[in-house]
Amino acid sequence: MREDMLASILSELNGTSADIEASAVISTDGLMIASVLPQGMDEDRVGAMSAAMLSLGDRTSGELGRGELEQVLIKGDNGFVLMTHAGEDAVVTVMAKPRAKLGLIFLDVKRASENISQML
Amino acid sequence: MSDLKIIFTGPVGAGKTTAISSISDVPPVNTDKAASDMTKVKKNQTTVAFDYGVMNLNGDEKIHLYGTPGQERFNFMWDILSTNALGVILLIDGSRKEPLNDLIFFINVFKDLISKTALAVGVSQLDKSANKCLKPYNKKLREMNIKSAVFEVDARSKTDISLLVKALLFSIDQGLEYAS
Repeated sequence: MREDMLASILSELNGTSADIEASAVISTDGLMIASVLPQGMDEDRVGAMSAAMLSLGDRTSGELGRGELEQVLIKGDNGFVLMTHAGEDAVVTVMAKPRAKLGLIFLDVKRASENISQML
Repeated sequence: MSDLKIIFTGPVGAGKTTAISSISDVPPVNTDKAASDMTKVKKNQTTVAFDYGVMNLNGDEKIHLYGTPGQERFNFMWDILSTNALGVILLIDGSRKEPLNDLIFFINVFKDLISKTALAVGVSQLDKSANKCLKPYNKKLREMNIKSAVFEVDARSKTDISLLVKALLFSIDQGLEYAS
């Protein structure tokens, strides 16, 4: 039930922009809670990588005096990976195309993670 | 000044994070997060990226200590952390059902690194294991043709863990004398 509702938030998020290719909700220790991923993408991999990156982001932001972590953004040749907290114990990870309009995606992801954190 | 890097690995709950906290001369960096998998039966928190600490040796030498996550889903971190490491400390939780399988599994994962560098094995919670004995570990290592010291350790004990680290350093470079 909860998973279905989370999946519907994610589907909606993927629908808000053609640039968003995948999204997932993951526990901070790296286990998938809900996801809308393209075929062939390994859930476990996405989960564990997101947890590791976000935890390092948390530490880096804190230790270097940047305060609470808001997001981790990774840019590659073939697009973006964006990770944000959804409450204390979950991560929202979004993958987007290389020419994606980031400002809009930031906004949509922020909204979605607020909704998600209320459900967890 | 020369810097050395060693990694602490092993299954979930063997005491990697605790061991690094015990011997680090600087406040360790942890990336512990609330556990939501089977791990939570044993403990509330689990490492998701790495642990980091520094051990100061005589003179200017420092050892950088990196601890890996235990769960296999984080195996990409195992690769990342083992780059340029000078040796592996394998912590095995002696109270698990098949600790020898953990030993074999982690030695196989890190076998390239171990064959080029060195290995030291620490068995924690041996007192809670079935036969409370290190012999099976030594036997298995001989069968696998791996040279390694094996100690019973308490991950909370600075003495135990630094002994393990010294054993590793000694097998890397037998000509050197290390003091604490």
